[in-house]
Amino acid sequence: MNIFFYYFYKFWPFLITLILWRLATAFWNPAGVLALIPIFYYTFVRPKNCFGLIGLLFCFLIDYRCNLPLFWTTMFCLFYAINGFQSYLDIQNMGKNACGAFLVFIGIGFFILSFSKINWANFINNLWLFCWLGILYIPITSIETTFKKQKP
Amino acid sequence: MTKDKLSYKLMKIVKSALAALAVPVFVIYIMVAKPDYAIMNGLGHVILPVAGAVGDLVTWPVRLVGDGIHWVRETSQIRTENEILRQKLDAALTNKYACDIAIGENKKLEHEIDVKRASPYESVVADVIFNDSVFHHNTFFVNKGRKAGLERGMVVVSFDSRLIGSIVDCGSQFCRVRAITDSDSNIAVRIAGSDVSGFLQGNGKKRATIGFFSDTQFVGRQGLKIMTSNISGVFPSGIYIGDMIDENRVDVLQPNQNTRVMILKYNNMDSYK
Repeated sequence: MNIFFYYFYKFWPFLITLILWRLATAFWNPAGVLALIPIFYYTFVRPKNCFGLIGLLFCFLIDYRCNLPLFWTTMFCLFYAINGFQSYLDIQNMGKNACGAFLVFIGIGFFILSFSKINWANFINNLWLFCWLGILYIPITSIETTFKKQKP
Repeated sequence: MTKDKLSYKLMKIVKSALAALAVPVFVIYIMVAKPDYAIMNGLGHVILPVAGAVGDLVTWPVRLVGDGIHWVRETSQIRTENEILRQKLDAALTNKYACDIAIGENKKLEHEIDVKRASPYESVVADVIFNDSVFHHNTFFVNKGRKAGLERGMVVVSFDSRLIGSIVDCGSQFCRVRAITDSDSNIAVRIAGSDVSGFLQGNGKKRATIGFFSDTQFVGRQGLKIMTSNISGVFPSGIYIGDMIDENRVDVLQPNQNTRVMILKYNNMDSYK
């Protein structure tokens, strides 16, 4: 059982990202954008070895499916660089799994996307996705912690 | 590796520098490679099927349950759907004789003015695998690609021959289709039964916008039928798109209304293959 948990924790960040990306549905998870949650969390908040590359890959896949040429990939690299070069904000020690930092990350992205096509439908759609990702951020990032507590 | 170690800090700076270096590279690429994005699409052709296959393997229990729920829901709606279809069939049969006469008259007129109308002799049926209507883009993926003879620019229609969109990117076993509701879509159309042409533009909403009419006096109204005009050569002429619902909006087919589509092998050169 310990071996199972060992590998489960080891591959969990990759699994949850893959699952959220693959289980895309038109309204609740369009193009797998919910995968941005584990991408952000396991890259900036609880960084795992080599997960940066996985995050980059899935950002690319989200972009490819959204027909947004390298938008989230560029955003991801930009945040990665900014986070790495500064020591003023310590995302890893922020409260609530750094939900605020995540909201800033997706907020800037959705803000730019709202201006790429200005109409009410696009604005409401972006607002909905912003709220939905914000609501799901803590539950999704808490799954691993919940499992860890139940570890025998 | 602890956070206080010099090697950790150095590694972090190197990674950040690489990420910072990637940003201008991506931005320049986005500006230079438009509209084809050959490298990005080429990478997508490799990465997407691999990630999709691994994702299928991991998520099959969830998708099995989802498909089961979908099946139960569809089955429970069959009776209602059957009644609606019967009503539609009755209405369609009522119009059939009028249509037969109109078709006959049309053929006679075409013969008289020597119109040669080509028709597609080859089409490919494909299933919708990913429906990605997000932000202001409405694209979806189908499970047939270059191996089935599909190419960029081919026309995607529903089974009742209603225009859905066109292929914008083609992998070996999948294609990405841009729906006519996508904000990047702008196609030449014609008002059925008249010589008035215009342009139909998607805007990411459920309804597309029509404008730039060839006749400046023309005012659109509810019920007018819109079809492709082949002015720009992107789509063949005569494919039904939808009905106008007011003077500048058209009720078009949504990508999520189809699970299976037909792809016409149209080569963008004003003719069918």
